[in-house]
Amino acid sequence: MTTQVAEAKGKPAWSSRARDVFARSGLLFGLLILFVLLWQFAPNFATSRNLFNVLRAIAINGMIACAMTFVIISGDIDVSVGSAVAWSSSLLGVLAIKQHWPLIAAVAFVLAGGTIIHSLAGWIRVKWSIPAFVVTLAMYMSYKGLAKVITHAYPITPFPDSFSVWGQGYILKIIPVPAVLMLITVGIFYFLSTRTVFGRSVYSVGGNEEASRLSGIPVGRTRITIFAISGFMAALGGVIMSSRIMAGAYNVGEGLEFEVIAAVVIGGTSLAGGSGSMIGTFLGVLFMGLLSNGMTLMGVDPYWQEVARGLILLFAVLISVWQKPIRK
Amino acid sequence: MAPILALEQVCKQYPGVVALDHVDFTLDKGEVRALLGKNGAGKSTLVKILSGAVHPDSGEIRIDGNPVTIDSPSDAFHQGICTVYQEMSLVPGLTVAENILLGRWPRQRILGLSVIDRKAIRPIAKAALDQLEVSLNLDEEVSRLSVAQQQLIEIAKAISFNPRVLVLDEPTSALASGEVEVLHKVVRRLAEQGHAIIYVTHRLQEIPNVADTVTVLRDGRQIGTITAGEATPAVIANMMIGADWRRTEWGAGGQPGEVKLAVRNLNREGLLHDVSFEVRGGEVLGIAGLLGSGRTELVRAIFGLDKLDGGEICVKGEVISNPSPITMKAHGIGLTPEDRKRQGLVLIFSVQDNLTQASLSRFSVQGILQRARGAGLARDMVRSLDIKTPSLGVLTNTLSGGNQQKVVVGNWLNTLPEILLMDEPTRGIDIQAKEQIFHLVRDLASQGLAVVFISSEIEEVLDVADRILIMNQGRVTGEVKPSEIGLEKLLARVMEEPAS
Repeated sequence: MTTQVAEAKGKPAWSSRARDVFARSGLLFGLLILFVLLWQFAPNFATSRNLFNVLRAIAINGMIACAMTFVIISGDIDVSVGSAVAWSSSLLGVLAIKQHWPLIAAVAFVLAGGTIIHSLAGWIRVKWSIPAFVVTLAMYMSYKGLAKVITHAYPITPFPDSFSVWGQGYILKIIPVPAVLMLITVGIFYFLSTRTVFGRSVYSVGGNEEASRLSGIPVGRTRITIFAISGFMAALGGVIMSSRIMAGAYNVGEGLEFEVIAAVVIGGTSLAGGSGSMIGTFLGVLFMGLLSNGMTLMGVDPYWQEVARGLILLFAVLISVWQKPIRK
Repeated sequence: MAPILALEQVCKQYPGVVALDHVDFTLDKGEVRALLGKNGAGKSTLVKILSGAVHPDSGEIRIDGNPVTIDSPSDAFHQGICTVYQEMSLVPGLTVAENILLGRWPRQRILGLSVIDRKAIRPIAKAALDQLEVSLNLDEEVSRLSVAQQQLIEIAKAISFNPRVLVLDEPTSALASGEVEVLHKVVRRLAEQGHAIIYVTHRLQEIPNVADTVTVLRDGRQIGTITAGEATPAVIANMMIGADWRRTEWGAGGQPGEVKLAVRNLNREGLLHDVSFEVRGGEVLGIAGLLGSGRTELVRAIFGLDKLDGGEICVKGEVISNPSPITMKAHGIGLTPEDRKRQGLVLIFSVQDNLTQASLSRFSVQGILQRARGAGLARDMVRSLDIKTPSLGVLTNTLSGGNQQKVVVGNWLNTLPEILLMDEPTRGIDIQAKEQIFHLVRDLASQGLAVVFISSEIEEVLDVADRILIMNQGRVTGEVKPSEIGLEKLLARVMEEPAS
């Protein structure tokens, strides 16, 4: 904490958000310890192939987590993203394979559709002040059902071989394409959150909606835009997922929403709204990814892995509560 | 016969303020005593002492001639003093009967479990309501009742303790006039039954209807106790104000310029009635009115926060058909809201972010922030408003009230407004910060801004304004020049009932 204050004084122009990065040093430290431990104890952990595999494994969650960070900073929540991934994957399969649409047109349609439906949900949330949890829970259920309706609960194959590049391909034979897509996404979201009027509005709306409205910030428009972004990223996640498994599948993305929310929270974004950062979210996703990978390499039972992830989430939140003085 | 309640030489001091200064106060059986005074006069401290929420530093409290100490709110009940606060303490989801007996529901044992005895609740609750002679459905959920009915339940709840002394803290501030009459009847009835009642109010017009006697507090001292018949607005205003106040001379201001803001016949159901006024550039228009007079509703409506039922808002000659904060900002209007923590600031943001909240467009190109320019705007504002902050990066909730208020004002000044609506900019800040805000308001006017200034403190309005609009119950009841009206006269006018 002392370093934080010193930093703030030394560079008066720094905003509270920039200082959040320093608050995140705890997570960075935890990540480092985890890395060293796994290096010592997990066989074949510290190979570049394995580490790139981790990056590929976390890519879809990471991209969706960026959008989720905006959602949570604005004080909302989106529990529909896992189902939205399943729906998008299913729809892509139906359009591209069953309906013989050109692949590019099917992808464009899926992305646009996901964005529009989420915008509509955002509009409902704003217009009638319904809690985002309820709106997105309704979407979670409907998306899940719709995915089964259009696929009759069967995976749809085959996509053209060339499609596999987005989920399975490599750049320079070693860097997974989805990992690159994730890093680009993190970069774009970092820029949006720290350098744009929109990003500032997201923090402001989550920090104090009433004060934001009185300052002439378009609160409703900001919220709807956040929903649209969340919908777009979930749809994109569905497309990449389809490419990774080379099928349009109704049963992908199950539980993804809570993995993503957990990573965002571990990354230090407050569910109360108003604070959080993209870097933190990226570190949170990375932490969870390394943990799963390490535990698998060490032969930990997958069921126990789930228990471990749950406890780590609780522990991470407790640490952040203990670090901060309680605000009234 | 000893009075039911007697306070003798009661003192209470807070750091930096004497809240009660050797106050004597007696109350007889069956008496309704109105308690009056400006904000900070000591009314609420007196109420808190009687309810056991704070303890006096010295002095004696006697009930029926016996000295008592009131250690806690529950102790106050046992001593026979019940207080009904302005804020409702009812549970909306429970019934009328359940609320009246909240927390002391009769129990019965069923199969070894302690269970609420629903049948036993009703007669006790009914007895309390009967005492008030009001009929309410005991099984109705409280959330379905009007504010006035809820107020009556609060009183019934207090009466069910069978108190000797009932303290009502501004019971009518949220009620419409018809409902006020019902409440007055209930109060009179309770007095006839022998309860002694302390009735805190700032509505002068209700005194003859409800009170027998009036006590006025000022600066923590008991100024005097008179009969309700003697309590004319002029007398009360004189007692509330005292002689030691003088208007600051600001020197000759700039000549008022063109009309910046004109509103005509603004109406909002039950809140605003045919409000019209103009403000010119270089002019400070003060609005004097009590809480609930419609002053906040007026500026909120102008700023597009609440829907209007009729009327016209005209900014620099242009009629604004659909006001919203965004359009009003674009037309050069700013509003510093009355509640800086809830409405004015994002407390978990840095000072810099709060100073530039409303002016993002000034330092962004195509939606991309130019952070150095934003920091520059904030730094200049910290300097020109003399905001005391260790840096631009500290969180705004660490600043003092006065400095937070300056941040709220600075946020709007950064939008380069031509019209600034200031709702209670001096609320809850220290004297020095108040002085600075006054100077700032005068400075802004001399730079050509049109300022609308609202304050609960009538002295402040009189001090800082070039022209004063008097508001009462949603109407403009007069317009005066500060130099031509004294403080007492103004206060009396503010408290008078409008001739409707």
